[in-house]
Amino acid sequence: MIEVKELRKSYDRTEAVKGVSFSVERGQVVGLLGPNGAGKTTIMKILTGYHFPSSGEALVDGVDVTEDPVAVKRRIGYLPESAPLYPDLSPAEYLDFVAEARGLEGEARKRAIEKAVAACSLGPVFNKPVEELSKGYRQRLGLAQAILHDPDILILDEPTTGLDPNQILEIRSLIRDLGKEKTVILSTHILQEVEAVCSRVLILNEGLIAAQGTAEEIGQALKGEERVGFRLRGRRQGLDRAALEAALARLPRFGALRSLSEERGSWSVDISLSGTETAEAGELVFDWAVSEGLALLELLPHKLSLEEIFVKLTTEGARS
Amino acid sequence: MKGVLTVFRREFRAVFNSPVAWGLIVAFLLFTASWLYFVTGFYAAGMADLSAYFGLMPVVLAFVVPALTMRSWAEEARLGTAELLLTLPLGEVELVVGKFLASFAVVAIAVLLGLPVPLMAGLLGSFDPGILLGQYLGVLLVAAAATAIGQWVSSRARNQVSAFLAGTLLLLLLLVLIDRISAFAGAGGLLASLLNWLSLSRHWQGFGRGVLDSRDLAYYLAVTFFFLYLTAWTLGRRKWS
Repeated sequence: MIEVKELRKSYDRTEAVKGVSFSVERGQVVGLLGPNGAGKTTIMKILTGYHFPSSGEALVDGVDVTEDPVAVKRRIGYLPESAPLYPDLSPAEYLDFVAEARGLEGEARKRAIEKAVAACSLGPVFNKPVEELSKGYRQRLGLAQAILHDPDILILDEPTTGLDPNQILEIRSLIRDLGKEKTVILSTHILQEVEAVCSRVLILNEGLIAAQGTAEEIGQALKGEERVGFRLRGRRQGLDRAALEAALARLPRFGALRSLSEERGSWSVDISLSGTETAEAGELVFDWAVSEGLALLELLPHKLSLEEIFVKLTTEGARS
Repeated sequence: MKGVLTVFRREFRAVFNSPVAWGLIVAFLLFTASWLYFVTGFYAAGMADLSAYFGLMPVVLAFVVPALTMRSWAEEARLGTAELLLTLPLGEVELVVGKFLASFAVVAIAVLLGLPVPLMAGLLGSFDPGILLGQYLGVLLVAAAATAIGQWVSSRARNQVSAFLAGTLLLLLLLVLIDRISAFAGAGGLLASLLNWLSLSRHWQGFGRGVLDSRDLAYYLAVTFFFLYLTAWTLGRRKWS
């Protein structure tokens, strides 16, 4: 649906995007995550035909954005970083203008506007001038404009900035709904947003893709190892540190002991496993505990949180 | 080309949504009419000659047109709505032509609302209607060229104020000052004829005498199209920068 190949974009002397390639399938909600200046907005501006790449290609439905920008623009709904509104128009007039520019006529236009207004809960302010609208309503009007023509592809640049927590939840659930049928690319620097909404993440740093995949995939690729924590108790008396360490050495794929502590007869263990197959970790530890005659009280596979991943990727990138 | 109509309607209404347009039209009418009666001493002269009235038009247009066109792109850039317009499925040419037609329509309305002035004066003496028609055609052609130039300046400007100042200066130069400069350059010289050719008001003088020269007509249309094209090119160019 969207294909980006070796995309580069320079503004004057700074190179904002330095060779980015990725593709997005229909029905995916992809999050572009990265610190400010990572190139998220630039990529979006290129996909929407607002800017052209310095080199490389961006294809939307197989159409090159530089070759037929109007055809690409027809398929895309775009919410720029700051909602592009006219202060002298009411939401009614504004949406009417956008609908007309998008070639919606008569009954179809009326229905499209009604649908977008309902989806973004703009009813109460429909006839108020934009000047008088709160930041939340403005942002939602911007979003209504983007979904008005029921596009296959939505590109949303920081869609929840400036909203209060309730509005953020509303918009996120709207995006999730839209993502069932549409392809959505959204940018954010809020990590929970990606976890809450996106099926895939592209982490950008200094104009390059630092990692991509689902949050779990990225976490694992990054660690190259898996961590498991568990708490156990010996079934027989006299489980001491040395015995436990000896038992751990017999655990298949045992990597390293990270911490070990005892509290009233139960031991808290934190280890890393070598290899990367997640699914097995719990089973492995369970079987091992049974065979060692240990009672497993608790088992927690550690996942790197997206936050940890983000910090790790973007700060390591900055250092290198 | 449906997009042209969409943009035209939006722009035309935007102009009248702001008090600026009304103010400009009123100021235009008051200024030109009072100029005729008080400054040129139309009645004192006792002649039904309106050349002074129309002679003032280029100077007035140099102020009125940039005041209307200053917002066309500079304001879109400030509001961030340029990003909306340029990501709607409309070509740059449609946007530029739609905006041009809207600004031009407002200028034309102002100019035509001034029509009672010469008509009333016409009751006093006998006018050659051909000359009057020629003069109006000339004013509208100058206004079209000025509007195209004003929009181009706005597409290059960072804000409305600089678009207005730069537009006014450029138009004053092309409409008024260039004739003074070419007078200094000496008649007949290459520089003088080049300056004369560039002068926006020189090509208009024929219209003022009621002479409709197709070369002058072509000149104004060419200037208008050139600057409209230049504006579209400026907008398109921005994508690559």
